[in-house]
Amino acid sequence: MADSTAIASGPEVAARPISQAALWRRRLGGGSYVYLVPSLIFLIAFTYYPIGFSAYLSLFRWNVLNPERIWIGFENYAQLWREPLFWLVLRNNLFYAVGAIPTTMALGLFLAILVNQKLGRARGVYRVALFYPTMIPMVAAAMLWVWIFNPGIGLLNYYLGFLGVPRIEWLYSRHAALPAIIIMSIWKNFGYFMLIYLAALQGISADLYEAASLEGAGAWARFRAITFPLLGPTSLFVFVVAIISSFQVFDQVFVMTQGGPADQTNVLIFYIYQHAFRFWDLGMGATLTTMFIGLLLALITLVFLTVGRRVYYEGGA
Amino acid sequence: MSWVARRAAWRRRLRLNPLATHLVVGLVALVTVTPYLWLLSTSLKFKTELFTPTPRWIPWPINWGNYAEMFDRAPFGVFLTNTVIVVCGILAVQLVTVTLAAYVFARRRFRGSNVLFMLFLVQMMIPIHATFLPNFLTLRSLDLLNTRMAMMLPFFASGYGTFLLRQAFKQVPRELEDAAVIDGCGGPRFLWHVLIPLARPTLVAFGLISLVSHWNDYLWPLIVTDTPDVRTLTIGLGMFVQQESGADWTLLMAATVFVTAPLLLIFLVFQRKFIESFMFSGLKG
Repeated sequence: MADSTAIASGPEVAARPISQAALWRRRLGGGSYVYLVPSLIFLIAFTYYPIGFSAYLSLFRWNVLNPERIWIGFENYAQLWREPLFWLVLRNNLFYAVGAIPTTMALGLFLAILVNQKLGRARGVYRVALFYPTMIPMVAAAMLWVWIFNPGIGLLNYYLGFLGVPRIEWLYSRHAALPAIIIMSIWKNFGYFMLIYLAALQGISADLYEAASLEGAGAWARFRAITFPLLGPTSLFVFVVAIISSFQVFDQVFVMTQGGPADQTNVLIFYIYQHAFRFWDLGMGATLTTMFIGLLLALITLVFLTVGRRVYYEGGA
Repeated sequence: MSWVARRAAWRRRLRLNPLATHLVVGLVALVTVTPYLWLLSTSLKFKTELFTPTPRWIPWPINWGNYAEMFDRAPFGVFLTNTVIVVCGILAVQLVTVTLAAYVFARRRFRGSNVLFMLFLVQMMIPIHATFLPNFLTLRSLDLLNTRMAMMLPFFASGYGTFLLRQAFKQVPRELEDAAVIDGCGGPRFLWHVLIPLARPTLVAFGLISLVSHWNDYLWPLIVTDTPDVRTLTIGLGMFVQQESGADWTLLMAATVFVTAPLLLIFLVFQRKFIESFMFSGLKG
């Protein structure tokens, strides 16, 4: 806006008085807000209003036994605090994050470096073969892996038996069910992580490697001194995205285990789903939702405080 | 950097033993592909063929019957139609909302633009998983439960799409806009005739990512639908598993192939475009 005013500073234009309406229009951004209205309607109705609404609902007892909402203050939160299952659910989420995120990231980075080598025509084939699980709906992937994890006639136990590993009950076992879900999630996601790292690798200037080579640095030294530090921002970004999505795990749990056996694979979103749509305890569901949103907002603040200020926009890509 | 120079540059980087690299990547690729091949193989078998002491990779004789039977047991054709309608509906509206918002954030200055843009950025990180309960109550009070519209509504605005497109619009030089304004092609006409054509690659990338992520949606459609006539493929598959009580493996695997095949086929045909889009998009919708 400021620029166009500068262009239109010829005498004949300057002589024309600005009407009150035009002045207001300019103050209001020359109609800019109109362009935002369609988006804002949906953002407010389906993202921001729900945040406030669930915080409000979390202060009520509202379930099958109490179809009329009863104000109880923070009683729902206190009740959760005393609920062992709630802590088990959080522990499961943490276990999932610790089991899945580092492995997926390491595998993604490792393969990105390898695929970034001179591989000729095979590179395209490899990329497709490693990335295709991203294109499969999580529900379908979960279904496929239920079949592979089948203790009796599943593919995995057969090949593990070949290596001398005794039969594992996988999804029916208290100890192996969550690892099984982690294994299938790694398979599903590492290809996407690989692509993100590939993009980052291609952004690193080749001159750096050339200079290092001339100084006599070997492959490992070059990786440690150039690749690894320059991938820092990407890794942080991938890490944050991975943490946020690790709290969204639901589809695979719903299909593979329904949270069982003995709630060993019950995770936060499934727990909310159970409260809201199995037990129809909407007050408690809203309380859990509010805690989840609080967690997300805390994470987001952390991101903006740490990486946010380092983000800049440049041309290309 | 030009494409040729870039490619030459790749070759000098971090050079490893090519044979070893092929071996390792090839092995991982094989392991990654194995589950899907096993899925295809199972879907073409007779039930009696499942119980072999060693896995049989090549089904013989081939049994196409599982696919026919699957359509008899559940309306997978209807599920497919619903999925296509929902996914395209979401994208069509998103393209409008996202383009308009990205335009003003990229090309205009107005009071409160930073705060408003923050609202869009934060939405990227608040997924439907965090808001499904209150959103369910909203749709219930609007009397929209169990409709295709219910499956689309929460996704009509996209902070992510706005962010991506704003970056693309920002790269168009100011001088071009000034020239266009002098030629009488300012405002919305500049957006339509200059910005949108120039940002086509970004629009395509966003479109693909949006299609893939909503094709794969599960939680939200699960909550807002309860009859087969509006359900999407993913929900249809989930219900099918419960209906068949998870024992009829050849049939279940045929259904799983059917649910995954459309996207995978499109991906194989346009793999370059897909991979580029996901590669430079940084984040899934």
